[in-house]
Amino acid sequence: MPAPLREAPARWPGLRRITGEPVLLALIVLAAFALFVLPLGAIGRLAVSGTGGGPDAFVSAVNSRSVQRAFWHSLESAALSAVAATLVGGALALLIGLTDVRGRTALSFAILMLMMIPPHVTAIAWIQMLGPSSVLLQALNLAPAPGSTHPLYSREGVIGLLALQQVPLVYLTLRAALRALPRDLAEAARVNGAGPWRVLTRVVLPLLRPAVLAGFALAFVSALGNFGVPALLGIPGRYVTVPVLMWQRLASSGPSVLADMAVLATLIGAVAVAAVWAQMRLMRHASVALIGPPQQPLRLTLGRWRSPVELALWAVLAFAVVAPLLAMLATALVPTYGVPLRADTVTLRHFHEVILNQTVTARAFANSAALAVLAGLGVAALALAVGALSRGRLRGGARAVTTLAEVAYAVPGLVISVGFIIAFLRPLPGLGISLYGTHAIILGAYLSAFLAVGLKPVGVAFAVLDPALHEAARVSGAGFWRRLWRIDLPLIAPAAASGAVLVMLTAWNEVTLSSILWTRGTETLGTVIFNYEDGGYSTLSSAMSILSVAATLALMGLLHRLGRNLPPGIIPWRG
Amino acid sequence: MRRLILSTLAALSLSTAVHAEVGGTLVLYTSQPNEDAQKTVDAFMAANPGVTVEFVRDGTPKIMAKFRAELEAGAPQADVLLIADSVTMEGLKAEGLLMAHPDADTSAYEPGIMDADKTWFATKLITTGIVYNTSAPVKPVSYADLTAPEVTAAFMMPSPLASGAATIHMVALTGTELGWGFYEALARQGAVADGGNGGVLKAVAGGEKLYGFLVDFLAIREAAAGAPIQFVFPTEGVSAVSEPVAILANTTNPDTAKAFVDFLISESGQQVAADMGYLPAHPAVTPPAGFPARDTIKILPFDAAKALADEEANKTRFTEMFGG
Repeated sequence: MPAPLREAPARWPGLRRITGEPVLLALIVLAAFALFVLPLGAIGRLAVSGTGGGPDAFVSAVNSRSVQRAFWHSLESAALSAVAATLVGGALALLIGLTDVRGRTALSFAILMLMMIPPHVTAIAWIQMLGPSSVLLQALNLAPAPGSTHPLYSREGVIGLLALQQVPLVYLTLRAALRALPRDLAEAARVNGAGPWRVLTRVVLPLLRPAVLAGFALAFVSALGNFGVPALLGIPGRYVTVPVLMWQRLASSGPSVLADMAVLATLIGAVAVAAVWAQMRLMRHASVALIGPPQQPLRLTLGRWRSPVELALWAVLAFAVVAPLLAMLATALVPTYGVPLRADTVTLRHFHEVILNQTVTARAFANSAALAVLAGLGVAALALAVGALSRGRLRGGARAVTTLAEVAYAVPGLVISVGFIIAFLRPLPGLGISLYGTHAIILGAYLSAFLAVGLKPVGVAFAVLDPALHEAARVSGAGFWRRLWRIDLPLIAPAAASGAVLVMLTAWNEVTLSSILWTRGTETLGTVIFNYEDGGYSTLSSAMSILSVAATLALMGLLHRLGRNLPPGIIPWRG
Repeated sequence: MRRLILSTLAALSLSTAVHAEVGGTLVLYTSQPNEDAQKTVDAFMAANPGVTVEFVRDGTPKIMAKFRAELEAGAPQADVLLIADSVTMEGLKAEGLLMAHPDADTSAYEPGIMDADKTWFATKLITTGIVYNTSAPVKPVSYADLTAPEVTAAFMMPSPLASGAATIHMVALTGTELGWGFYEALARQGAVADGGNGGVLKAVAGGEKLYGFLVDFLAIREAAAGAPIQFVFPTEGVSAVSEPVAILANTTNPDTAKAFVDFLISESGQQVAADMGYLPAHPAVTPPAGFPARDTIKILPFDAAKALADEEANKTRFTEMFGG
């Protein structure tokens, strides 16, 4: 039997076989076990068979009025806000993607700001913009009467701000889909005499259906797991969602309620996974395979409407992004909440307090920065490894890890952190130390929750990688690690970097995961702002929020500059 | 001669030992507002160079939940607790989680406000009364005034699930002839119970609510800073907590922890509290501006042992009324 022409003779072919992919797979399996199987499994085990868990616990949870209410609120707010976000985000994507409005990169950047300003900061800013003591509304004589409940402390308030947060998700999904549409169909329609309107309604929109569905599902799942908005608006408005209910119980009762939390986590996690599963089934039906070089399918000329449309777009974005930030700045500058901002009342006291007096500020900035960078790098490395396995003979392992990552991404962040507490609260067997209270547990939760974000672009990049390169290297005697290092890494790096950038920005701004994982010394920016606001120190939370938004803007500006020298696609708002 | 040298050496090593122990890092878990907590530890650090005090701040029930979680993880972080009320401290003491500090000098204080076993020490007197927004149509002077429907509709109180002072207020108030019926009337007419004292301050100062229960120092201090609010000592009386400090039995730095306690109950430490706008516990320290003379403040009676025994039942009862 002739020797197969698969690999050049190596000195220890057997050893090579097992030190290549199997080692990488073992590492990945180990990571997946720690990041997904242990925490999510711990929830399931505690919910099903732990003390205080079991079928009775499920029955009593389902029968509890507060749990029923929270579930209804979660589903209602996620569904309605996703519908609103799909409409608004879709309209923006069509308007910016298909017409000749100017300043698309700037518009994209502004829309992305809606997502980059974290939910708790958005909520604080809007509370201050629309409350009875709002500087803006008082100037317009529209301020609610003293003693009337804040208009945002309501179902509508929660849904409205959730929708605003999800608009960029839908926008980005649709813009990407528009860019990938092949030009042939639109051209064919035009050659056959179809006008722009007909091309839009009969060609472009039907082709966008899967993307709209994907955008809606993303918005739904993301709203379902949102914590900052319902926590700050829903608690005073008596509109408590499941993540908020879990946080409330855990924050005021501690580990004694972990079994109850596991039951709630299982229930809401199941909803999220079901939603993603349904979306994937629907997508399979709705999607059509298209080939052909992508090009903008339609370029509508707005003519004399161009300037008014641009003006309207910028006005809406200014109202949604800039005005709340200004309201927050006004609060940060008054001596105490409730005092109007005037020349004689303005003070920098709160900035002085958070920057120079509160030692936690420096700690939080350092923690969030380190955690964000490590999470970005960690996700990029893991994604690269999973991607490398996905094309070899061990692709089953890669697929399993990808599925786990998608599940972890879909379930609400609070479920992940509850899982990490249950799994890692007790000291690790053999080592005698507990991960709880360390940076490692927060980093682990970030990697678990955000890995899917990094896997997507890397997966796409590996899918289009020409296998001939690998074959050539293999025939020339390059082993697995060498191929990974010399072929995959350089070619996949841009995709991995784009995932890392998104993960970094998300981790820098997040509060959901760290809200119950933080302890002394591991405070993140999000938890510090949230705890100031939750404790009622609005002036401090505003000052701190302004600082964090400024830092985020600086970071994005830096990335934008760096993006000039990088391949397209790494910086999400460029191109 | 030899004995003299030896004893001198012994004395020297003893004295250096005592002083050398006050140093290192101390972790404080507290329910004080962030700014006050920072000022407190800054004052202690200024008096004790070489000591670093870090603090974590949250409402008493939440900071206790964090403490419990860390205890369960086998990695307790806190050395010293400074929380709202002595009832929680009594619970911790019964579980053996507190370390006694027998040398603490409490001679200047009225008997009864400190723990006789010297495991926890009162640091202030914080009363809870009524606060209202100056634009409110009604100026309440008693708890009874709060049950007028138009007042209740714009009324908010801190939740006992988030605030230790609110827990004591609930126990003290329901122990008077107002009873639970008073709380039921408030709940029925749409009063809101949510979050800690900071949240009530924000809502009343911001005009979202017009009336509330609030701790004295926050209201008096912020009113002095220009917030449109006014604090009232109701005619029926106020509830009081003592914001006790205690050393945790698991501390790895007991001498510095003891120095911290000594500082808080010393006259200079009490002056720090008074300067921040708190009613000091030490009788010789002058109360800050805005407070009436101490002997004119009527404090509602309160049974700590009963409060500890009924804690769960009280909270459940409250949650059933107000949700939570």
